[in-house]
Amino acid sequence: MKAAIKIIGVLLVAAGGYVLFSSFLAGGLPLRGTQLGPALRMPWKMAGLTERQAAAHLLSRFTYGAMPGQVDVVVQMGLENWFAQQLTAQNPDDSLEQVLNRYDALELSNQQVVETYPRNGQVIRWAIRDGVVDKDSVRVDRAAYRQVIQNYMQEKGYKREQELFRQFFCQKILRAACSQNQLREVMTDFWFNHFNVSISKNDCAEFIPAYERDVIRPNALGRFNELLLKTAKSPAMLYYLDNFNSSSPLDSMPGRKARGLNENYAREVMELHTLGVDGGYTQDDVTQAARVLTGWGVYPLGEVAKAPQAMMLQRFSDEQIARRGFVHEGDFFFNANRHDKGEKVVLGHVFPAGGGYEEGVDLLNMLAHHPSTAKFICHKLAVRFVSDEPAATLVDKMAKTFLEKNGDIRQVLITMVTAPEFWSADALREKTKSPFELAIGAVRSLHAEIDQPMQLYNWVSRMGERKYYYQAPTGFPDKGAYWINTGSLLNRMNFGLALAAGRIPGVHVDLLALNNGHEPESAQAALVIYGHLILPERNLDATVKRLTPMLNDGAIETITGDSTSDPMLAQVVGIIIGSPEYQRR
Amino acid sequence: MKGGGLALFGVGLMGGIPAFMAEAAASNKVLAPYKRRRVMVCIFQRGAMDGLMAVTPFTDTYFQEARPTLSLQAVAAGRNNPLLDLDGRWGLHPGMKAFEPMFKDGRLAIVHGIGSPNNTRSHFDAQDYMESGTPFSKGTSSGWLNRAVGLLGHDAATPFTAVSLTSALPRSFYGDNPSLAISNLQDFAIQLKGNPAAANTAARSFEDLYDQTSAGLLQQTGKESFEAMKLLQQADVHNYRPAAGVVYPASPLGNSLRQIAQLIKMDVGLEVAFTESNGWDTHFNQGTDNGIFARNVADLSNSIAAFWQDLDAYQDDVTVMTMTEFGRTVHQNGTGGTDHGRASCNFILGNRVDGGKVHGDVPSLAIENLEDRRDLPVTTDFRSVFSAVADAHLQISNDKVLFPDWVGKKAAVMKV
Repeated sequence: MKAAIKIIGVLLVAAGGYVLFSSFLAGGLPLRGTQLGPALRMPWKMAGLTERQAAAHLLSRFTYGAMPGQVDVVVQMGLENWFAQQLTAQNPDDSLEQVLNRYDALELSNQQVVETYPRNGQVIRWAIRDGVVDKDSVRVDRAAYRQVIQNYMQEKGYKREQELFRQFFCQKILRAACSQNQLREVMTDFWFNHFNVSISKNDCAEFIPAYERDVIRPNALGRFNELLLKTAKSPAMLYYLDNFNSSSPLDSMPGRKARGLNENYAREVMELHTLGVDGGYTQDDVTQAARVLTGWGVYPLGEVAKAPQAMMLQRFSDEQIARRGFVHEGDFFFNANRHDKGEKVVLGHVFPAGGGYEEGVDLLNMLAHHPSTAKFICHKLAVRFVSDEPAATLVDKMAKTFLEKNGDIRQVLITMVTAPEFWSADALREKTKSPFELAIGAVRSLHAEIDQPMQLYNWVSRMGERKYYYQAPTGFPDKGAYWINTGSLLNRMNFGLALAAGRIPGVHVDLLALNNGHEPESAQAALVIYGHLILPERNLDATVKRLTPMLNDGAIETITGDSTSDPMLAQVVGIIIGSPEYQRR
Repeated sequence: MKGGGLALFGVGLMGGIPAFMAEAAASNKVLAPYKRRRVMVCIFQRGAMDGLMAVTPFTDTYFQEARPTLSLQAVAAGRNNPLLDLDGRWGLHPGMKAFEPMFKDGRLAIVHGIGSPNNTRSHFDAQDYMESGTPFSKGTSSGWLNRAVGLLGHDAATPFTAVSLTSALPRSFYGDNPSLAISNLQDFAIQLKGNPAAANTAARSFEDLYDQTSAGLLQQTGKESFEAMKLLQQADVHNYRPAAGVVYPASPLGNSLRQIAQLIKMDVGLEVAFTESNGWDTHFNQGTDNGIFARNVADLSNSIAAFWQDLDAYQDDVTVMTMTEFGRTVHQNGTGGTDHGRASCNFILGNRVDGGKVHGDVPSLAIENLEDRRDLPVTTDFRSVFSAVADAHLQISNDKVLFPDWVGKKAAVMKV
């Protein structure tokens, strides 16, 4: 895991991408069931932009940040071609995948995760059960006790749960910084946040890596209803919002205490995932929906699989249990015995008595195709990609596409990017970068080599965004006002200075290389040159004007940095990254 | 920081030294440009503190039967240290002897049987509900302390109105009103290690850029950040010395409370402070007068006592309140500990507190009185206590906004 990864020059991609797109035009490229439709025509000229400015805008919205020279590449390729390519997300990522292959936890199934990375408390319980440790031994000798546990874990092949998450966080940083399929990474982040789950909730934590890998990323540019259904059936969501446990009060298993209805998921699926809080549902709809979704749960994994009832279940094949109305699909299990079979009415739609798993699917599809959902989702997308307060006309256009094209996310994005509102002056640079966007954007801007992705993860946390730990199901708010506060702004400035000075361990920058090895002749020259490299197509006059006198006056001694021998340059670049202009995208 | 130092700092600063600082330098004392206000300090004990071991109903035989090896007596028995008898019924864990004089003085109140009406026993959910202040709603985006800031009756005059000494913004602080999370006051500066001159240049550059080349939120926040930074620098946080004789425990809690005391004494307009204490989830080997629990309560009480002592002349302005997401089972479990329960107890310290008493409505622990036949029942809704403290100390009486969906009466835990 010490292998460095250099960010690949985009020219390779450009060449490959052009070929890909022309073959698509010739009808030769399968697009996973959707056609892109009429050619994308982006009305940037009408908005008064130059082609380069338009390219810079596309990059700042649909990637984690332009790399130096990338504006040229996009212009050369053609803006529409570039965007179409991003939508299909089939650019090769060979060297990224090579680095990721060294992280052995990333490809594990949920079953394997449960067997290999048990939670701390579980290991202790198992050690006690296996007689390896006496339950009173903690108070006697902590060091000896820890050693015994360590040996036990090694023997059994258990690894610490923290290691699973460490690899997961590293993967996130690397993909965001280095993937050629930037739009898919951006959308993965968007949907994860929309269908938020949190490691801070123990029950679902271990299932989160597989959730992002198997549920979110593959469907991030697909159809909304499919994404919704897959999240509803994932262990991560089932545990996070407690639906795994929701049962009909008339639980028909003899001898077992009736567990009862849990409305948590039903409420959040309407309020946060589909209709939105003003989407027109009532408390009664929530209760009825909860009844429809009873019986949904997780197929026994790990320890649970060894319980007697679970052992019994595993003796039957999927076809056999299907005949009795049960469903087993991967980690998902529908328990017909826990399902409320009465009649329900949700949003005026009647679900007749006797329903099973299918009525839950029907309910979710109904929610996914509801006009309020179209509006809610499209508004969120517009906030992410256009501005904190997008024009109603734009949202309406996108919602119309959403409904007409069956929730096809790609089509909605096309509607958005071909609308004049996307290009209007008040949409340019209107968004504030989240800490993650700032950090990833900065390493892309500087072509940094990332040996220790965790260092970046930690900085992003320090700036106020501890990824995967947002407690509430609402996910991180997408508003400048949330990210920019006194403490976090200070950390952003310090991040810029530290990154440019090579003071983030394991994150190497070579500032001179960005300028082909030429050292700028003065602080002002450095400002202008690097300003344009890092903030392409922006008007930096004000910044240059204010900073020049200060940089000329300042007494700068030698910094013992590690990747730059030019302290003045590191200072200039650090200030650019921490500057207000760089906080905006 | 003396006058000479201040002048040095002022050289080269854009716009010169803020006027109030120049006056302060001249008079050699930090004059508060902000009106000195009261401060409510909240300490969240994460993990669910065992209220019954912290403050034990030692005359209750049901309790002793439920905890054959996990309870203490009020009289010295065998090797164990005895409980500190508070009132003939309740005994304070001996690890908290720092609390005893404050209890006897009438400054420390205990509320027992406090908890949430929502019976979830999930740490995550219960903490979420307690910090959002809405035990039946998960979608509440704000935290109760953020709403409290909005109800202070004046605009946030300083960036330090609400400060959390934690690395991330706590759930209680989520919301639209300004609040600040600082893990360490000393780090609250533009940093370029080993090169203060360059850091100074960078700071000036940033300050100017944010002032002159940005607008709206970035500009406003930039102003506040630099204001806050200068305030901290001027108060020389590196060399802060607590009041004479005060020794804080060398623990995260001790450390954060020391910094909160520092902020209070700097007169920077602090009104709501928050910090955390971890490690209360004692499922295994809880111990009695020795062990994990004992260490935790010692840390809690010693840190709070040091904090109180350090406040000195500021004591009148401050009320401290602890909270925990729920309590633990009446019975001990099979691994020398206790499992998740319902009600717990909390501690409230201040000159305005109706102290020297154990408030609340705790029944005998016969099994028929227990919730689900296992847990200390919740007889005091946490919101009734939080709102009482907020009202008496910070004059926040709008309970409809502070705790939406709550219908109840404030608990009588405060004197005025």
